Amino acid sequence: MMNKLKFLTKISLQRKTNNKWFLIANIIFAILIISLLNIDSIVSFFGGDFDKTQIIYVKDNTNKTYDILKMQNDNYKSIIKENENAFKLEKTSKTENEIIKKNNDAWYLTIDIDKNNYIKATLTTKDYVNTNDYTAISTILNNVKTYIAINESDIDQNELSKISKPLNIKRNILDKSKKAESENHQMLLSTIFPILILPFFTLTIFLIQMIGAEINDEKATRSMEIIISNVSPKTHLFSKVIASNLFVLLEAFLLVIYALIGFAIRNTYNKTSPLDITSAINSLLSSDIINNLTYIIPLALILMILTFIAYAILAGILASMTTNTEDFQQMQMPIVIISLVGYYLAMMANVFEGSIFIKILSFIPFISAILAPSLLILGQIGILEVIIAIILLIISIWALLKYGMRIYKVGILNYSSKNLWKKMFKALKG
Amino acid sequence: MLKIENVTKFYGNFKAVDNLSFKVKPGEIFGLLGVNGAGKTTTFRMIVGLLKPSSGKITLDGHFIDYNITDKIGFLTEEHSLLTKLTVKQQAIYYGTLKNMKEKDIITKLDELLKKFKIEEYKDKKIKELSKGNMQKIQFIMAIINTPKLLILDEPFSGLDPFNTEMFKNEIKLLAKNGSIIIFSSHRLEHVELFCKKLLVLKNGKNILSGSLEDIKHKYRKKNIEVIGDIDEEKIKQIKGVISVNLENNKYQIKIKDESVIDEVFNIVKKGKNISKFSVEQPSLNEIFIEKVGETYDE
Repeated sequence: MMNKLKFLTKISLQRKTNNKWFLIANIIFAILIISLLNIDSIVSFFGGDFDKTQIIYVKDNTNKTYDILKMQNDNYKSIIKENENAFKLEKTSKTENEIIKKNNDAWYLTIDIDKNNYIKATLTTKDYVNTNDYTAISTILNNVKTYIAINESDIDQNELSKISKPLNIKRNILDKSKKAESENHQMLLSTIFPILILPFFTLTIFLIQMIGAEINDEKATRSMEIIISNVSPKTHLFSKVIASNLFVLLEAFLLVIYALIGFAIRNTYNKTSPLDITSAINSLLSSDIINNLTYIIPLALILMILTFIAYAILAGILASMTTNTEDFQQMQMPIVIISLVGYYLAMMANVFEGSIFIKILSFIPFISAILAPSLLILGQIGILEVIIAIILLIISIWALLKYGMRIYKVGILNYSSKNLWKKMFKALKG
Repeated sequence: MLKIENVTKFYGNFKAVDNLSFKVKPGEIFGLLGVNGAGKTTTFRMIVGLLKPSSGKITLDGHFIDYNITDKIGFLTEEHSLLTKLTVKQQAIYYGTLKNMKEKDIITKLDELLKKFKIEEYKDKKIKELSKGNMQKIQFIMAIINTPKLLILDEPFSGLDPFNTEMFKNEIKLLAKNGSIIIFSSHRLEHVELFCKKLLVLKNGKNILSGSLEDIKHKYRKKNIEVIGDIDEEKIKQIKGVISVNLENNKYQIKIKDESVIDEVFNIVKKGKNISKFSVEQPSLNEIFIEKVGETYDE
């Protein structure tokens, strides 16, 4: 029977990989991932202004404000710690039409004296400006106004310097195991983790649909009768579960390869890019986050593989109950929705910080693989909670096999949808 | 030997097979007949181990049917049980391996059978690209690729032209000659008559008629008299015991209730003119079936 299991697994895997759709899907994945990792270069190539410093031509009709504006712009840069992406200022005496005609992307800022409000500013652009940039220039101009106001209030230079100096908040975290420097990295990870688990979510959907399609195909062609007359339903289901899991692991491996190719292209052709992912990764690697990742990654992987197995068994059981692909499409909706709920909860885990409800949800099989690692990264749950989630998942797999197998045995040889649920409940009772 | 002993199968409260018993020896071709829903498919499914009987037992050479013995069984289902996206060769390797055959042996056997059925060129073609008749041939090849000890054929001639039907018949006879046990079901009762020495008719899961074909026909009292010539049809119809008189293709078909009527019919026929044939025929299996089951064998 072991030989037959191996053979059925091999055939099932071959049927998934030896077809043109696997090739086409992977070409699309490779192009998408490599393109996304080099999106700034692509945008720049087509003449976009991705990450380009916005230039502002300043016509200072007050003859004293430009220097203050420049100083406040530098201060703003130091606050946001994004030296490359702040504004580049240039004084001009030309008119707005002359400037914008020459450079469509440029901004033209006119500063005039205002008796009631120290200064007034007019920003002229060819098109709409984005909200972040508008907020930034408003903040800088308000700082300029404040500076002028303080300056005209007979305050000595020392005091003025103190008032103008940006305030740096010193972080003090009582938990000694946590370092203040890691705080930003942690926030960064909590943002990028949902992006990293998107392939997991996609692969889960793949897995569910592949198992359903294969079992439905075998049922619809009645080849199921020949197969089940030679191997037990248990061997048959196991072969599907193993093959589909091997397939998703292979696909995940290929996605990693595409990502590495994307990074390699980025490092080779795009060394001067302002969006330096490599240095961001290096920065992460040099922090103590890497120590956390040494246990977060294995735990997340265990949860993910167990979840793939659980989904595969569930999809197989549901597929066995259906008689055609349309029925399976309807039947799989609840499990797709459960998976989707897990994905959205993981994305919003930051928002629900401290919520007991979300912590409890992270234990629930089928969504724990997505939610628990997110909460672990955010420090909302510990290793113990993740281990509980793993144990609960193993218990669920055992229950699915014990009781679901009864349904599977009856379902795979059932071709009528009449009294379907009655038949399945009867099978469940054994 | 295949032994079915007091087998009953329930689906819930519905009794699909009711206390069924029969035996088939090696080399025998056994006909299992019945209208749709009579319990044939359930019986086949129990024989190949897909279903467990609610009571009774099924044994092949004294062993209960389980996964240790199903390698010796070949099963041709009524519907095409082929994975249509596979090529013929892939399909053969698939089903052959499930029968514990080695890939090399499967290919050798496949080549031999493809040649025999004159479809060698389809070896690397996808099954979905084949015609209905060729698909049936492939399905038959898949059922016999392991040279089964027990072969179950559910409607084996479906979709076949007379030439290919003949080819199938020869192969089935050869398998029987080589000692295979063959259980056969067909809507074409003339095939059953030609093939099966023993048969069983199921109605609502029950055995309503069984035994050797010769005995069944012999015991069936109604006979047919075939007459060619000019006869007094009305006089014959008046004889007590004559059921019907029909003229088809210049040939009279006279149905009689039993052999006691023959002399009386003959006495009237001999008074007719241009008589070139008077023969007493055994009833066809189809007639017996209609009589016993109460309805025609649905096609």
